[in-house]
Amino acid sequence: MLTKAIILGLIGVFCILDSRMLGRLNFERPLITCTLVGIVLGDLQTGLAVGASMELISLGLVTIGGAVPPDMCMAAIITSGFTIMTSASMETALGLAMPIAVLGQFIGVVGRTVLGSLTHVADKAIEENKFKKATSMHIVWGTIIYSLLYFVPIFLAVYAGTDVVEAIVRFIPAWLTDGLNLATKFLTAYGLALLMSIMLNKKMTVYFLLGFFLVGYLGLNITAIAIFATILAFILNSMKSVPAVSGGASAADDYDPLEDDL
Amino acid sequence: MKQVSNTRKFWQFFWRSWAIQCSWNYERQMDMGFLYGIAPTLDRCYPDESDPVQVERKKEAYRRHMAFYNCTPQTSAFTLGLAASMEEEYAENPDSMNPETINAVKTSLMGPLSGVGDSFFQGTIRVIAFGLGVSLAQQGSILGPILAMLISIIPSVLVTWFGGKIGYTMGSKYLNKLQGGLMDQVMFVCGIVGLMVVGGMVSSMIGLTTPITFVSTGLVLQDVLNTILPCMLDLGIAVGLYALIKKNVSTTMLLVICIAAGIVFNALHIFA
Repeated sequence: MLTKAIILGLIGVFCILDSRMLGRLNFERPLITCTLVGIVLGDLQTGLAVGASMELISLGLVTIGGAVPPDMCMAAIITSGFTIMTSASMETALGLAMPIAVLGQFIGVVGRTVLGSLTHVADKAIEENKFKKATSMHIVWGTIIYSLLYFVPIFLAVYAGTDVVEAIVRFIPAWLTDGLNLATKFLTAYGLALLMSIMLNKKMTVYFLLGFFLVGYLGLNITAIAIFATILAFILNSMKSVPAVSGGASAADDYDPLEDDL
Repeated sequence: MKQVSNTRKFWQFFWRSWAIQCSWNYERQMDMGFLYGIAPTLDRCYPDESDPVQVERKKEAYRRHMAFYNCTPQTSAFTLGLAASMEEEYAENPDSMNPETINAVKTSLMGPLSGVGDSFFQGTIRVIAFGLGVSLAQQGSILGPILAMLISIIPSVLVTWFGGKIGYTMGSKYLNKLQGGLMDQVMFVCGIVGLMVVGGMVSSMIGLTTPITFVSTGLVLQDVLNTILPCMLDLGIAVGLYALIKKNVSTTMLLVICIAAGIVFNALHIFA
């Protein structure tokens, strides 16, 4: 069991490093990780089957109780492991894996806060001319912390086995897991609010609202918004009078016969 | 300045864009990730560790790239290439530009590039790849996951590689133009696109609803809200958090508020 727990933990590390070091090539997806679990545990067919079902759930084609559960990537590894190693059905295994994944996700939130303090270490290192130390905060320490955030919950869940996990899951109250689920929505809003705090100013607020209403009322997707926004921005830009002083040559290039009519 | 071949630079943009999330954090998100990406360029620009002037300018540049940053890794390669060519230009002719311009370019590009990048890779490509992959895997074929990965990897490699390359070569070519009025125009266009995309994400990505119903009248509050203004709650929560950030409430405090609010509002059945 120890070896299996370590191996599944390492698959978890591979899964998180996919989005950390490989720009999210989708190795983290349930279909892939469950297949890997199937291969290392010697039951490829079950791995594929669990992977396909878990992938459908997290692709949003099928939803459980209306809410897309959080960290499906971590849940997928634990679920496929449990399904293969015990005689549990996938649904039972998923029922055990989900609360672990919700808690794992929240350890992740704490981890991402702790990583904020690495930023301060890097700031300080730069002031002291220790440039290598500043970049190692990212590539060495960031990588280690993220790996542990995935390795530890998966390792513990698999090593403890389904009986212990079941006892723990019974112990976790529903108000906590459901509450954490709701908190992920607030955290998404927080991430967007951070972007707004960088980009928004009084003059530009209308564009933010325009994007919001186009999606809210017309249901356009983000690609459509980006395309229309680009076109709108170019139209507005060409309507603005070209400043005559700066960049003399480019101003002359942009000579627009329509301007004579204004 | 130390010279290396362009191919080597492109490889660095490529790998270091992919590795940009190693230290993703709630405070400045990909600040250290971007610094890690541009560090080789900065080290080449200011190679002499014994020259106090160079060390000072290097420190200045390192500090500059510790600013808040967040972007899809693949499309971020373009920004990295562009910023690297600007840093090189600035290192050679310090009088030619205001270094603040470099961060202004990064900030104005990250909105549009993340919007397009996320919806392309996570929206379109992922759904196509795994839609196909799942249907094959359900028939018990190992080709399912393999095909899904191939469809995912190829566009990712192409966008990252050419993004970095085009950003870098375009940068050195158009940089002088960018210094003039064109720069303002680029930032104007990017600002509009970025904000519209963020506005769209607020209404499509948060998904906050309320389960409150009035039993006596059979009125479902969410339906009422939807007829007044769809995604009203999402806008409210995003603007509320925005106001708190603007009031300099600390990151840790805001995260605690988010988690506590999730637990409390769920227990009171106010939001779902």
